Amino acid sequence: MPAYNATFDSTPTFVPAIHVAIVEDDPDFRNALRTVVTATADMQVADVATTRAEGLAMLQGPPADVLLVDLGLPDGSGIDVIQAAVALWPSCNIMVSTNFGDETHVMRSIEAGAAGYLLKDSSPAKMLDEIRSLASGGSPISPIIARQVLARFRTIRTDNGDNPAPPQATTNANGPAAATSAAPTPLSAREKEVLDYITKGFNTGEIAALMDLSHFTVRTFVRRIYSKLKVTSKTEAIYEARTLGLLPD
Amino acid sequence: MKPEPLVCCPIESPASHDIRMKNRSANLLSVLLLLASVALLIAVGAWYLQNDNAAEKTSLHLTQADWQERDSAAFVAPPASVASTSLSSYWQHSTLPGSLTPTPPLQDKTSASVRTTWVKLSMAGKTLPAGPLVLYGIRIKTDGTVAVYANGHLVHRLQAQGQLWSSLFTPLWVVLDQQDTAEPLQEIMIRVEHAANTPVALSSLWIGTPEALRGRYYLRQWLQRELPATLNAAFLVVGIFALCVWLRRRQETRYLLFFNLAAISFVGHLHYYVSLPILSGWFAWLTANALFWLLMVIHLFLCQLHGRRLFWLTRAIIGITLVSSILSSPIIDVLPVFPSTSLWVPLMYAIAVLMGLLVCIVGGISARHRSRDGVLLAAGVGVATLMGMSDWLLHNNIISPEGWFLGAYTNAITFFMFGTLMYRRYLHAIAEVEQVNASLAQRLLAREVELELSHQQLRAAAQRQTISDERQRLMQDMHDGLGSSLISAIRSVELGGVSESKVSQILKDCLDDLKLTIDSMEPVEADLLLLLATLRFRLEPRLEGSAIQLRWEVQELPTLPWLEPSSALHILRIVQESIANILRHTRADQIRVHTSHVSDGVTVTIDDNGQGFDVEQVMRNPAGRGLHNQQRRAQAIDGRVDWQSTSSGTRFTLWLPLQR
Repeated sequence: MPAYNATFDSTPTFVPAIHVAIVEDDPDFRNALRTVVTATADMQVADVATTRAEGLAMLQGPPADVLLVDLGLPDGSGIDVIQAAVALWPSCNIMVSTNFGDETHVMRSIEAGAAGYLLKDSSPAKMLDEIRSLASGGSPISPIIARQVLARFRTIRTDNGDNPAPPQATTNANGPAAATSAAPTPLSAREKEVLDYITKGFNTGEIAALMDLSHFTVRTFVRRIYSKLKVTSKTEAIYEARTLGLLPD
Repeated sequence: MKPEPLVCCPIESPASHDIRMKNRSANLLSVLLLLASVALLIAVGAWYLQNDNAAEKTSLHLTQADWQERDSAAFVAPPASVASTSLSSYWQHSTLPGSLTPTPPLQDKTSASVRTTWVKLSMAGKTLPAGPLVLYGIRIKTDGTVAVYANGHLVHRLQAQGQLWSSLFTPLWVVLDQQDTAEPLQEIMIRVEHAANTPVALSSLWIGTPEALRGRYYLRQWLQRELPATLNAAFLVVGIFALCVWLRRRQETRYLLFFNLAAISFVGHLHYYVSLPILSGWFAWLTANALFWLLMVIHLFLCQLHGRRLFWLTRAIIGITLVSSILSSPIIDVLPVFPSTSLWVPLMYAIAVLMGLLVCIVGGISARHRSRDGVLLAAGVGVATLMGMSDWLLHNNIISPEGWFLGAYTNAITFFMFGTLMYRRYLHAIAEVEQVNASLAQRLLAREVELELSHQQLRAAAQRQTISDERQRLMQDMHDGLGSSLISAIRSVELGGVSESKVSQILKDCLDDLKLTIDSMEPVEADLLLLLATLRFRLEPRLEGSAIQLRWEVQELPTLPWLEPSSALHILRIVQESIANILRHTRADQIRVHTSHVSDGVTVTIDDNGQGFDVEQVMRNPAGRGLHNQQRRAQAIDGRVDWQSTSSGTRFTLWLPLQR
């Protein structure tokens, strides 16, 4: 079995520093995060906001590489900030910080455009690992979230059940993938396989071994899956950003 | 007349315009259909009687006759030929139609029972139409034999055995074959042999070509015999229909009564068209008594309609009917109905007429304001009684022998009345069904609303119960786990002497507990693996920090339909406790989690390679509280826990049932 913490050692030190922007009202966590990031050689804190309004204002500035957003802001929901960031900082990797990583919060954030989440009680090392993984195109996932994502794609497929794929498509070698190809944002067979393993309790390292992939590739699979979930709500996000006055018409 | 508007009302939508047009054309079609049907019937009638108009021109109407009577001891067959000169030279003159009653009355010295009446119709001095001739008359009213002579030769015989039941209703039609006698028709003689005390009555006669007289003859024949026969048959068919209805609906006796009425009516009217000789006593008995039976049944029917019992009238009617039926029956033969000269016959008809009037009047009064059908029926009885009276008058030569026996049509009246009754009943039933359907739909709607309301209440109650259960569960869990852990953390901090890392560990445990509580509320869709996966996901950071290797060797499991938040939390806590024990108390460096599907359940097995422990001893100790908790939680979800421990490791097994 490959070592789970393989990424700790494989972090390249020569890449440019990861710029981290933070929108967080809890001073303790904010400070802890700032301290940890500042102390890390390959990262730096780009900007810090404590309210939704500040967060939205921050998005008018230069984009960061990673944006950490808390959902429960004193003047509104962090979801607004995530949606605005999707429109204004398209290249930015958005991450939601959460106490429990529960399905309700995380799924909403992913649909709004977040690429990952950070458990607030994670160890500093784990936090840095998550930020690095996110910045390099990976995404974390939990079994409950994996099950929800699968359910979401099943719904999409059922919604398009009126137009079943032509028969020759189902006899394709990639059976399951071909069957889902009728959906607007279908999961590939490999992506579905990853999610299935996650719901059975296998961790990223184990799945990489089982599917003969690299540890990092598994996490990019998850990112792709998240972005497929996001697609349906992207136009909506742009519309909302416009109504918030964050985007020119 | 107002001009027809060219355009419809502008408010009207094209659709309703269409419908109206459709209705209008449908109405037009209906009217055309009706007119065509009626026209067809009229055309057939006209064609049937087409020769009638020419009758006056090519036929001779004989209204003067001479006649004489002779008594004899017995009936004698008529001679083949007879000359009028061979008879007595005393001829009485009569105008036809008329009754040939002797004036002055014949002195019945010989007390002979048979009398022969000769009727002479002279053609002398009259111009007869050319071609074959027929003799036509409406009827010869007699109970005896009839013979017709042309120029003294016998050409036709009627009722050779005496009167037939139908002869009163059968017109006379005699073809006068002139080929035998070269001489022109001079004289027609009719010989009638009859009972001495029943006078002969004769309608006026016609002589002419068959073409000229056929129309009259057919009309009489049809109206007097064929139409009553048809009506009678139709009435019987309707009666059979009513019988079929009664067979399916036994409680509605009026259908049976109706069938009874039809049967009696059929039997009672047979004599209008059945050519039986009047000899059979039973047939006469049936014909005469059918009147009483009819009246009795109608009376009972009326009582059903107006709902009054009319105790005495009913008894009287039933009584008279029974007495008449029994006494006049050929077996008892106290009051014979045949021959019609018996004392009983005129009395019987008088009683029948009286009874008819009584049934009509009492029935009408009783049904007034109560039953429109009853009034209709009573009126019908009245009309039928009057018709019967006209028959009686004709029988007794009080009115002209050319008149109509209207009694034949009484069943047309009955048929019409009961037809109306049934028609109204049918329409009423249809309206009722429609109404019932409408109210049924309404009731159904009301029930649906009621049901929806009670469903809502049930749902609300169920929801309250769920919330209450959930609260109970969380309270219990927080009390046992989170609460006590937090209290011990606070105590540790307050008492001092405990390292910060120890306090931090306690609090981290609390947070882990809380996370599992939250996870237990996530939808796991009866998937035990997903639940275990969630637990692993939560415990992973703790394991990462230790040197322990976790081997995750789970297998596909069947779904557990009973897996819901409260049972999920029990499972999470059992497995959590098991892993925590390994971390806390053993020096294991490897944990293996394994699942399998056994016959009637699933197992979760956790092996470690630690030093093991004495299960029984630990269970007896206060330190074994954790194991007891696991046992208790397992029992709460109908599961089992088991430990097998050796010095080289411990195997913990959680068994869960497939169904609960």
